[in-house]
Amino acid sequence: MTLEESIETRCIADLAFSNLQQLEIPATPEYYALWYEYHAGLNPSLQHTIDALISNRATFDQKTLDDLRANFLSLEKEKRAIHETSARVLETLKEVVAVADDANKDAHTFGDALSDLAATAFGRTIGNLTELIEELVCESQKMAGRSEYVSIRMRASADKIVALEENLENALRQASVDGLTGVANRKAFDTTLRRFAGEAMNSGDDLALLMIDIDHFKRVNDTWGHPTGDSILRYLAVALQQSVRGEDFVARYGGEEFAILLPRTGIVAAATVADNIRQCLLREPPRLDLVPPMTPITVSIGVANYDHGEPLTEWITRADTALYRAKKEGRDCVRSA
Amino acid sequence: MSDQPESGVLGPRKLCLVVDDSATVRRVAGRMLRELEIDVDEASDGQIALEKCLRLMPEVIVLDWNMPVLNGIEFLRSLRKLEDGEHPRVVFCTTNADVEHLREAFETGANDYIMKPFDALTLKSKVLKNIRSESNCTAGEILEAHR
Repeated sequence: MTLEESIETRCIADLAFSNLQQLEIPATPEYYALWYEYHAGLNPSLQHTIDALISNRATFDQKTLDDLRANFLSLEKEKRAIHETSARVLETLKEVVAVADDANKDAHTFGDALSDLAATAFGRTIGNLTELIEELVCESQKMAGRSEYVSIRMRASADKIVALEENLENALRQASVDGLTGVANRKAFDTTLRRFAGEAMNSGDDLALLMIDIDHFKRVNDTWGHPTGDSILRYLAVALQQSVRGEDFVARYGGEEFAILLPRTGIVAAATVADNIRQCLLREPPRLDLVPPMTPITVSIGVANYDHGEPLTEWITRADTALYRAKKEGRDCVRSA
Repeated sequence: MSDQPESGVLGPRKLCLVVDDSATVRRVAGRMLRELEIDVDEASDGQIALEKCLRLMPEVIVLDWNMPVLNGIEFLRSLRKLEDGEHPRVVFCTTNADVEHLREAFETGANDYIMKPFDALTLKSKVLKNIRSESNCTAGEILEAHR
């Protein structure tokens, strides 16, 4: 390497490191390689994509970085492809060999039995022939039984795969579920908000947001303790879920704040849903035997409809402002933006 | 009436074509972009968009990816094959910023992307950024002038 090349690579290295720092990305060799490649200027496709992501203020989280590596770093791509293909081929081979082995053993046994029977066929009297047929039928049934055993084993593997897939699905779901209440967590809410708003923008339909805050929650915790506070949060979550339709989305937005997205719902209808929630809580207070006895739980609710094309943060702010008004104007009420 | 095209801050008025099968998106995007001093036209599918480009090639195209008749990627492919088809800068709209999806779009000839749902500020700055300006103003200065 010439002195110039050496200096150049040092410059690229410095740029790569400062990217890692700025974006707070772990400085592992893989991620460093990605940014080195970006600055080296020899991968225009990678540069274009990263520049576009930056200009859209995308987060460079692990998934994005890994996807970038998989798509653009050729060695990564090829290594991964080879690895995946050979893993798959190996698995398939193993399966085939196992099944063939079993089938072979059976076929051998069956074949041998048939040969034996065939050998004794000659010289048998009519009476014996009946016996022969019975034996043939018996051997065939045994063969069928063993084949069934093989298919049961294959089905068991298939079942295991299905169970593994379900486990994976559950794990993924748990990452977006609030542990205490079972409704969606804040992360899932942010993603869904964007998705619903995108769909509303496409369809032109209404989309409503309810921001719900428990009144005097601090008092609940102070009077009856945090475990009771937790029970109240769970109680409210259940009440909310029961007050909405299947396509609506309930999430725990913060400590004692919940959010609900109502697709295809205008502001008047949304305010009605909000009021129904209020009344549901009054009708069915929490069933807790407490000393002092628990007072009914009330909530304040702010309602705002998505104005197609408004920044999502602005929409949430409008709903929050309406919620604040509900608090100021006496609590246990609904206010619309 | 002068024969020259109307002049704006960006020089002679540029044309932006909004291609999306959603009437709401076309309406909202059109309203946002008309606040800039550019001409805005719309098309509800890729086929109509191609016909419009054949008649008059726009400066910037805001392109939805999923459309009936001729979708985003097919339109883009056909556009780039036209005479002067390399001229328009294409900003495609997507609800999915998956790296593989972006890569496919860029390799087919897109220049930039914008996430849906978009807001006025984001759309305007994206379009301005992608318009070749004959003025000496930066996109930021132009945005400020329109605030």
